Amino acid sequence: MKRLAIPFLVILALVLAACGSSSSTATPAPAVTKAPAATTAASAASGSAPVALSGQPIPIGLAIATTSNVALLGEEEKNGGLLAEKFFNDRGGVNGRPIKVILQDTAGDEQGAINAFQSLISAKVVGIVGPTLSQQAFAADPTANSAKVPVIGPSNTAKGIPQIGEYVTRVSAPIAVVAPNAIKQALKINPNIKKVAVFYAQNDAFSVSETDTFQTTAKSLNLEVTTVQKFQTTDTDFQTQVTNALATKPDLAIVSGLAADGGNLVKQLRELGFKGIIIGGNGLNTANIFPVCKAQCDGLLVAQAYSPALKSDINDGFKKVYTDQFKKDPPQFAAQTFTGIQVFVEALKSLDNKTKIANMSIEDLRVALNKEVTAGKYDTPLGKISFDKDRELVQNDFYVAQIKMNPDGATGTFVFLS
Amino acid sequence: MSDFFHAHSSVIVSMVFAAVLGLSLYLPLMAGQLSLASPGFYALGGYVAAVFSTKIFNVASGAHFPIPYLLIEMIVAAVLCGALAIIVGIPALRLRGIYLALATVAFVEILRVVSLNLKITGGAVGIFKIPQPFRSTLQYLWIALPLLILAMAFVYRLEKSRIGRAFTAIREDELAADAMGIAPTYHKVLAFTMGAILAGIVGTVSAHFLNTWNTRQGDFNASITVLAIVLIGGSRTFLGPVLGGLVLTALPEILRSVADIGGLPHWLAQFLKDGRLIIFGLLLVLCTVFFPQGIITPEFLGRVRRLFSRRPRATTADEARAAP
Repeated sequence: MKRLAIPFLVILALVLAACGSSSSTATPAPAVTKAPAATTAASAASGSAPVALSGQPIPIGLAIATTSNVALLGEEEKNGGLLAEKFFNDRGGVNGRPIKVILQDTAGDEQGAINAFQSLISAKVVGIVGPTLSQQAFAADPTANSAKVPVIGPSNTAKGIPQIGEYVTRVSAPIAVVAPNAIKQALKINPNIKKVAVFYAQNDAFSVSETDTFQTTAKSLNLEVTTVQKFQTTDTDFQTQVTNALATKPDLAIVSGLAADGGNLVKQLRELGFKGIIIGGNGLNTANIFPVCKAQCDGLLVAQAYSPALKSDINDGFKKVYTDQFKKDPPQFAAQTFTGIQVFVEALKSLDNKTKIANMSIEDLRVALNKEVTAGKYDTPLGKISFDKDRELVQNDFYVAQIKMNPDGATGTFVFLS
Repeated sequence: MSDFFHAHSSVIVSMVFAAVLGLSLYLPLMAGQLSLASPGFYALGGYVAAVFSTKIFNVASGAHFPIPYLLIEMIVAAVLCGALAIIVGIPALRLRGIYLALATVAFVEILRVVSLNLKITGGAVGIFKIPQPFRSTLQYLWIALPLLILAMAFVYRLEKSRIGRAFTAIREDELAADAMGIAPTYHKVLAFTMGAILAGIVGTVSAHFLNTWNTRQGDFNASITVLAIVLIGGSRTFLGPVLGGLVLTALPEILRSVADIGGLPHWLAQFLKDGRLIIFGLLLVLCTVFFPQGIITPEFLGRVRRLFSRRPRATTADEARAAP
């Protein structure tokens, strides 16, 4: 053992030494300081043919969770983000200059998000799309904000995100706007609904904020909230909550949770004899719940910030490249991340039309880009979006879908209700 | 060089925090008590800082959080954690070995569920917009490094003192120590409380450092990470957890930047990037296989010391013989 230990230590030391020197050589990045000169020459040369891509690619950061228990969401975001890179480069990039999406894994924690952000900022990205969770945004966004790097949150829905600082905005609609639509839809289907039972995952920030909105909406529509039941995203058994809720004889059940727990809760609600309409929160807006609640998913109403059914050039284009590559309709998180990159690309384009971005220093570019991002209007897969004066997202279209399960009970589709 | 430090400032600071957190778990371990409660007290300390800095002290937004306030928070957290540790410690430390570990895990879980349900802790979203005492992340070292050095000096002196020897005696054989007139409960609770205070203080600074605090800080995963820090680093000398904390926090980030070295074949760079946590896990497994006592053991330190004391006179032949 001891004889092996020393070579092992040596290897470890070598690895450490290699990294130390690597990162120190990587950070000063002489290549980047040379970049403006190289690109001015390139853009001048390519002036006659703007579609041909040339020049140093413009780096855009993508900091999302591709590991840890959040990776289920992060994976969709990664697909959407990397697809956006290819999609916009195929369409001429930023006035002929390509973009490059630099992916960094934040993992599921706050420290990881800060590290990923710092790593991207020192890689001289013009802006960052990320992180995955709102809690991570509260930790990492101030870092970017003080470094004056624009951030677009692809899936940060909690209250207070754009208020973190003037460099922070998001393309994920705050829950307060998305959730009420589902209740209105349920009332359209069954106008006799009077009593509502509410369930939510108390350890999930998203579900906690969402349930507040659901409850206020229900009350404002003169519905009676008969019970509020809490659970944890790690739970699998919900008999107690369901039994307690069913004792109050609700006509409508509202579930705010994530795919695995929410799906199980829906299943157990049905198994214990609940016949009324069930509304699922945005956390259930994923095909990942089909294998969980199987045939019992049928009829579930889900509020959505993105619908593949939206008819527009950009959404059709996005949907086509997505289904070509992944053989299924794009999920909401992929669409939102795609939109995040799109907002940066279009803002860069319109900025470039005013002042040549190739002549700007990275610091000036980031500041100017930040102003341009919130000033613009964008036609995205999410529909038409813009930002208000507090940098909050203004999104015109929201959707409610109903799940239709196939007879085999394992696969299903989201059917969009108007 | 300064570019390097600024680009990696958050990793560097969190390395130091992890080292102190490792020491906080090492303290009860000195008396042979395997307690996983450190992250619980860490979380509590963080909440103290988060609540005080956002609700009690009124700092104009944009202004820097005054350092004396930070010190007040640290003191409050230390007192609170110390008191809670005594209350929890007296009954919990009647348990031994794995049962104590389980009880402390339960304690951490209770704290988590309580903070999920309280209004003042912000539930699952937690508390955000915690004001910053420093202009840049790197300046946190002004607090973190003295904290680490003081904690190391304290533990170093403790190991040599009467109380430290009592801890060791209890660790080696509680029954025999009791028979020799060492009060086991008193010393075990003392070690546990010292660890709790240290963890609480780190939590306070961490809350400012992370800008936000929520129930995901100091959960069961964190307990396991801190345990790994101590076990990989070495649980028999205070240098073990310090090294463990530094290395284990830095390693995933180092692997991240290895992937960015120019000139690597594409597949290798991609593997380093996507598989960095696989490599990290593999290194941990290798460490436990080759260094079951942790990387730094008293024998290892002894060998290092011999090597240095002999050096002035040693010929190359001597060294070759001394190094097997």
